[in-house]
Amino acid sequence: MINLFGYRLSWAQLAWFGHRASGLGVLLFLFLHIVETSTVLLGPEVYDFTQTFYQNLPAKLGEVMLMAALVYHSLNGLRVIAMDFWPSLTVYYRPLTYGVIGATVVAMIPLGIIMTRGYLPWG
Amino acid sequence: MTSRTRARVIYTNPSRAARPKPEASGRERFWWYFMRVSGLALVLLALGHMFIMHVLVVLTGDEINFAFVQSRWGSPFWRIYDFALLVLAFLHGVNGARVVIGDYVTHRTARSLVIGLLLAISGIWLVLGMAIIVFFDPTTQSVSGPLS
Ligand code: HEM
Repeated sequence: MINLFGYRLSWAQLAWFGHRASGLGVLLFLFLHIVETSTVLLGPEVYDFTQTFYQNLPAKLGEVMLMAALVYHSLNGLRVIAMDFWPSLTVYYRPLTYGVIGATVVAMIPLGIIMTRGYLPWG
Repeated sequence: MTSRTRARVIYTNPSRAARPKPEASGRERFWWYFMRVSGLALVLLALGHMFIMHVLVVLTGDEINFAFVQSRWGSPFWRIYDFALLVLAFLHGVNGARVVIGDYVTHRTARSLVIGLLLAISGIWLVLGMAIIVFFDPTTQSVSGPLS
């Protein structure tokens, strides 16, 4: 059990909510990404201009969040799929859920550093 | 021993934190399977895409611009890859959004209306997305259009 803003949540509830939130977040970005990529049909000047929207720190942090959402959603989705097809695995749902959350955090350390390269204090 | 292990297997407990498989065969069961099969494919396609665009491109000092797209979509492999990623992620995501709407909008008419709107907008959007990948011409030098 964890305490979040006064609500008592289980890790399982948080894992489920995270899956939902990350899925919707990635879908929202997919809609924007289609519009932004459509400018490639208007030629190099227009496309290269729209790509400059990504070349600043707030956009880089957004990309890191998108990556974190996708990494978490993928790992948790794999856990859900595994438990659906091998119901005996549900015995381990708790360690598997902790594993998914932990693996996401660990994976985001190198990914975050690489993705914000050039914006970090040491270059 | 076995019975004790079996008793701890959670079949319907919400702590499994996912939608249970629909009992009846039919459309809902199809989409339940679709979410899982497309999810497996998306692990490779979506994570692969993010890895190439945000890790390999950075590490090799490359830059994503028009020339980059020209060389990438000059190859049928990457066009097919991106097309499969687009269609699967879109269907998976929009069906997920449909399920979420169904959870929160309980009024029947309102639900059909909201889901109808989602599907209409998504249909147009997906066609636009597919058109970009199909119609992009990698030999373009520069186009003279209203915006250039
Ligand atoms: C990368 C690999 C992915 C895997 C393994 C995966 C797996 C899954 C699974 C198994 C579900 C069903 C959960 C359930 O039935 O309760 C699901 C739901 C969902 N996915 Fe994915 N998915 C992936 C990528 C994506 C992408 C790219 C998007 C967005 C475009 C997305 C958006 C969603 C949404 C919105 C839901 C509905 C969430 C809910 O019902 O609470 N997923 N995903």
